[in-house]
Amino acid sequence: MKYMILLYASQQEYDLMAGKPTDEPAWSAEDVAAMHAFMASWNQDLVDSGEFVDARGLAAPVHTRRIRGLQDGVPVVTDGPYPETQEVLAGYTIVECDSFDRATEIAARITKSPSPGDASGAFIDVRPIIEGIEELEA
Amino acid sequence: MTTAVTDDTTEGLLRRLAPQVLGAVVRRYGHFDTAEDAVQEALIAATMQWPHDGVPDNPRAWLITVTSRRLTDLLRSEHARQRREDTVAQWTLPDQWLAPAADRPASAFDDTLILLFMCCHPSLSPASQIALTLRAVGGLSTAEIARAFLVPEATMTRRISRAKQRIKDSGIPFGMPPGAERTERLGAVLHVLYLIFNEGYAATSGPSLQRSELSAEAIRLARMVQRLLPDDGEVTGLLALMLLTDARRPARTGPDGGLIPMAEQDRSLWNAGYIAEGVALITAALPRGTTGPYQLQAAIAAIHDEAPSAEATDWPQIMALYELLMQTADNPVVALNHAVAVAMVRGADAGLDLLGKLDADERIAGDHRLHAVRGHLLEMAGDCVAARESYQAAAQRATSFPQQRYLNARAARLVDDQ
Repeated sequence: MKYMILLYASQQEYDLMAGKPTDEPAWSAEDVAAMHAFMASWNQDLVDSGEFVDARGLAAPVHTRRIRGLQDGVPVVTDGPYPETQEVLAGYTIVECDSFDRATEIAARITKSPSPGDASGAFIDVRPIIEGIEELEA
Repeated sequence: MTTAVTDDTTEGLLRRLAPQVLGAVVRRYGHFDTAEDAVQEALIAATMQWPHDGVPDNPRAWLITVTSRRLTDLLRSEHARQRREDTVAQWTLPDQWLAPAADRPASAFDDTLILLFMCCHPSLSPASQIALTLRAVGGLSTAEIARAFLVPEATMTRRISRAKQRIKDSGIPFGMPPGAERTERLGAVLHVLYLIFNEGYAATSGPSLQRSELSAEAIRLARMVQRLLPDDGEVTGLLALMLLTDARRPARTGPDGGLIPMAEQDRSLWNAGYIAEGVALITAALPRGTTGPYQLQAAIAAIHDEAPSAEATDWPQIMALYELLMQTADNPVVALNHAVAVAMVRGADAGLDLLGKLDADERIAGDHRLHAVRGHLLEMAGDCVAARESYQAAAQRATSFPQQRYLNARAARLVDDQ
């Protein structure tokens, strides 16, 4: 069974990690390195256990283009549609594992990632990937 | 609940598929508690639709689809209610990281076993373990379980929902317990099946001595576990014990519903098929590995079942097996049975001496069985007055009507003989 683990961040958090202070102090190079090391090892564990399928990180929310409807027969493109503090999709990891509980356990480990700021408001979502009823039948 | 649920009836099919469907859905979406309700609704839908529309080509897939859909609906209404009440469905993961099982992918059969492990989780009371096992693994409705245990349906509903809540709160993930824990947890599963069987075989209360449908259900579940773990001697031992005990059921009560002791039973009424199957199982299991208590009890039952009469029973062998059984656990009921075997081998006085030691054991001193056995042994020894007093004391303490009637009849017979 496949599950998508979705990670969220706001433009402001991207900025802090990039070393740009906002109303909170920016991350140091060591902070960023520690976080990268943690995520690399989290990822490697999944590769080792055979549960890793795919993972991608997304560029900062400011680099977003939203295409909306048609105006006079022409699609309208909006650049950077998100407010600075809105938590938006920042990356995902797809795992293939035994159960929803297992996927949840995998995702919950990310909460141990070192962070200089207050990470209590951070969240991660886990969602089942639909691949048809055959998967439940296996 | 019907007495004989065979695999080829719709009910048999549904009951067999129920744990597989629940396992598949909980594995995929979690929410053991709500998914269990959803399965019950899918089973009802199948019971109503299949007789008219025919059984679907893939009944398991049909049930999984209906259950998943129903689970989605139930979760949405639960979430809406929780938001209205301003609470969030929240649970805490156990803070441990376990490597996934590397051996092989999970199958529907593993799911059934995992469900049994969940339902018999040590955080639940035995009464809750039994009720939840019958519902989630046995596929029985709450009403059926309540009827079998002679409690109001509302009581059983509360018991089951509390049990499910407790499992949810405990945060145990849906998966096989880790290796070291597995043996211990399997012990709990076997004990629950044993209790279900006993509840059916010797009802502890109420007018009907044998609620045989519970015994039949326990045998069905034990067969299922034995198919999943054919190499486990105790699983095989438990199934054999149930079959060899249940084999005597047709001869155990008279036409008036009264209890007939084994020595006086018409052995031609015993279920020869069950005896053959039970003997074959225990014969195959005994030489393999360590011999646990279920295998020992099955071996004892096999000796009884194969004896042409009470007198022609191999009592020395039974006495020796009870001695082995007493070494596995300190159980006063086992000691009581041992005393009976000793009396049959060495005479009533030797047995009565052993009963004297049990008087000091408060776990059984007030139990009707100790007094009933003493009555029998005193009667064997020819002390009719003391025997009658013991039977009367036993009758006062027995909880089921047939047992009381049987014991009072024994006491009355001794008066007539004088």
